[in-house]
Amino acid sequence: MAYMAGGVEGRDAPEQPAGDPLAEATGMDRRGFLSVAGGALLLCTIDGKQVAVRTPEDVERVDAAMASLRRPKSRRPRREPARDPLDSASFARPEPQPGGQLREYWIAARPVRWNVAPNGDDQWMGRAAPRPSRFTALVYQRYTAGFAEPMSAPRMPGPTLRAEVGDVIAVHFRNMGTGRYAQPLTVHPHGVRYTPDYDGAYLGDFTRVGGFVEPGEEFTYFWEATPDSVGVWPYHDHGPNHTLNSFRGLFGTIIVKERGEPIPDVERVLWMHSFSPQVTGIPRLIHCINGRTYAGNTPTIRAKVGQSVALHAIGGDSSWHTFHIHGHRWRDASGAWVDNPGFGPNEVVTAAFVEDNPGRWLYHCHVFTHQDMGMAGWYMVDP
Amino acid sequence: MRALRSLPPLALLVAALALPATAVAVDYPPAGNPGKGGKQVRKGKPKTFKVCKAKRCKYRTIGAAVRKARGGDTIKVANGVYRESVNVTGPRYDRLKIVGNKRKPRKVVIDGRKLKGAKAQNGVLINNADRVTVNGFYARNFRANGFFVVNVDGYKLTNLVAGRTGVYGIYAFNSKGGTMSRSEAFANNDAGFYIGQTPPQVKPKRSIVNKVKSHTNVLGFSGTNMRYVTIKNSDFFNNGSGIVPNALDSEKFPPPDENVISGNRIFWNNFNYYAGAPFTIPASGPAGLAGYPIGVGVLLFGSQNTTVENNQIFGNWLAGFGALQQIQLFLSDDEKLKEASILRGNTIRNNQFGLDGRDLNGRDMFYDGSGTTNCFSGNVTRSPNVPADNSVFAPCPGPAANTPDSDALQEGLSWVLSVNKDDPATFEQFWLRHPHAAQKGIKPLERYRR
Repeated sequence: MAYMAGGVEGRDAPEQPAGDPLAEATGMDRRGFLSVAGGALLLCTIDGKQVAVRTPEDVERVDAAMASLRRPKSRRPRREPARDPLDSASFARPEPQPGGQLREYWIAARPVRWNVAPNGDDQWMGRAAPRPSRFTALVYQRYTAGFAEPMSAPRMPGPTLRAEVGDVIAVHFRNMGTGRYAQPLTVHPHGVRYTPDYDGAYLGDFTRVGGFVEPGEEFTYFWEATPDSVGVWPYHDHGPNHTLNSFRGLFGTIIVKERGEPIPDVERVLWMHSFSPQVTGIPRLIHCINGRTYAGNTPTIRAKVGQSVALHAIGGDSSWHTFHIHGHRWRDASGAWVDNPGFGPNEVVTAAFVEDNPGRWLYHCHVFTHQDMGMAGWYMVDP
Repeated sequence: MRALRSLPPLALLVAALALPATAVAVDYPPAGNPGKGGKQVRKGKPKTFKVCKAKRCKYRTIGAAVRKARGGDTIKVANGVYRESVNVTGPRYDRLKIVGNKRKPRKVVIDGRKLKGAKAQNGVLINNADRVTVNGFYARNFRANGFFVVNVDGYKLTNLVAGRTGVYGIYAFNSKGGTMSRSEAFANNDAGFYIGQTPPQVKPKRSIVNKVKSHTNVLGFSGTNMRYVTIKNSDFFNNGSGIVPNALDSEKFPPPDENVISGNRIFWNNFNYYAGAPFTIPASGPAGLAGYPIGVGVLLFGSQNTTVENNQIFGNWLAGFGALQQIQLFLSDDEKLKEASILRGNTIRNNQFGLDGRDLNGRDMFYDGSGTTNCFSGNVTRSPNVPADNSVFAPCPGPAANTPDSDALQEGLSWVLSVNKDDPATFEQFWLRHPHAAQKGIKPLERYRR
């Protein structure tokens, strides 16, 4: 599936036809829905054919197709694939390097009712955030061992996985998809080293074991933190319905540090992304940071003068974003001073500095339509 | 392992611990491949069948409704006593729901009294039918099991009561991906709950045991070669021993592996059934063979990659927690069984022993120090451990090789070898008793009085 373009927001709601559930739910008829969703066209491949996903019904169709998708090796291939010896090669499970450790995470993917504006306000502009604001999202949620208990409320992004060079990250992943979300799901990492079994990617008839985890199943991914893994990286669903399900909230962050490297006093990850009408059933494109929209709902970050701060911004949709913090400058990877670097899908920029400027500050994406439609938040610096 | 071989009474121990898991003479279905029974899709909408004892009812036995039902259907059973054995066998019953009284399961009784032959064996048998739900029943007086699931991919057993059976209360064998929840098992002469012989899986389907209560059984929970099971938020009390994952070669796929025991209360497991019990002691099984000590909260008798965490473990007179290599398998000539005997990769952390000092265990933790990468962190202990110098309790992550302690092993073996089921007092000779803290609605049980 592919997300083709940014959306169009802010249309007035036309008259509703009586008894139309879409209209009742969204205050918009089908033509109106298409007019706002059309700018955010999703393309999806079902049964070998590429189809446009414009309406909630299209999304239902995709979900139903994905839910009935059979495990690649159990179905008769459309045509005999050109198998390569590599496809049946086996690879050793990685072990931590001397001095390293196995860092275990128990993570489930599950649907949750999600409110993009739980406080109901746009504090920046002093107005109410647009309604409706709830839909069913998919999230990665961290659990205690054996999925005995959730370790926190459902969040976007999913749990941050931390490691140091020499460690192995073990993600015990459980697919807890139900209803229309009972689809094969995965966890695919960036930045770390892994063998094909732990890629977490659906590859059609060439899918390896970790690329197709069905509802109720678990799979443990093992990823190595190598010297070239130092940095901040995304992880996300890469199952057969990966684009739609990543847009629904199946994403998270990996942070790898050098052995013994200190963690900054304030370190936060900010995913800049959007929920399209197809994903939410809400007839507007919702620009978000970490699954929330508008200052007061998006993360409010707090620091003190003198503290080391690292804010990692990641692109979580198909748009380009920038990361701007009022009142602050920092050096980019080339050593140049910046205050508004740009980044693309699943790309990361880090603003790292020692705090020296107290006050209430805005941070936001400086793509104007994004910032004005909710991709902004507060950065509070105490003296 | 040198320490193990130096011990003279091993042969005796082997004899004592050589427990057939399915111990009594019961005709169980052969183990198949769970989830591979084929799918049968019902034509038309799912139906609901109503069962009650009144003459007006078309179905007056649950079995009669089951015979008419197909997968996806629901059978609703009214309050009453049903003297029958319910048999749900075959993939035609995939996703069948059998629902009694969810809020008061004791009102819908499936009673095995006066039944004969196969009908006397199991209250409800689910064989090779996936994702069947049984909700809201009380099974009692069966010669084998109250509720028995075998060769199944996905099951839901909830709001059930199982009592006074000949083997297990609620039992899943050779199955995967199930739920046992909000249920109670008592007075079963083997284990109240039992999950055994879980097939190894690359992408496992976990089974969840949640909010159950198990008491007055020989074992609160037994898990012979069980895998991918999480036991949580449950109470195991007044059993001979509380929770006992164990490796045996009498079932396939040893050892128990990748299990989690989390957030449970495991207390007062000092029920000396040899001094009197609400059931008969069979010739075989853990009670018949006097194979397990009495007075232990959690006992890992061979286990790998198992986590025991965040539990409240108190008032168990022999030990709150014990971990012992499966010596019988260790002495085997079969390399696979030898490997399965090893305690490996087990994590014991953040458990609270002794209820803040108000209800002490005889000993808090026992470990023979055998195996590899076993570790202990964050446990709050109130009573001495075995060994007392704590040398075997390596912090997490566990060392590549743990440190065997022959004295600790000797002490643990003496608890098992110095007993005689004809002399119940011998099971109490190593107990260290302390005052119990009161628990609402429960009285401690050591010796059963009618």
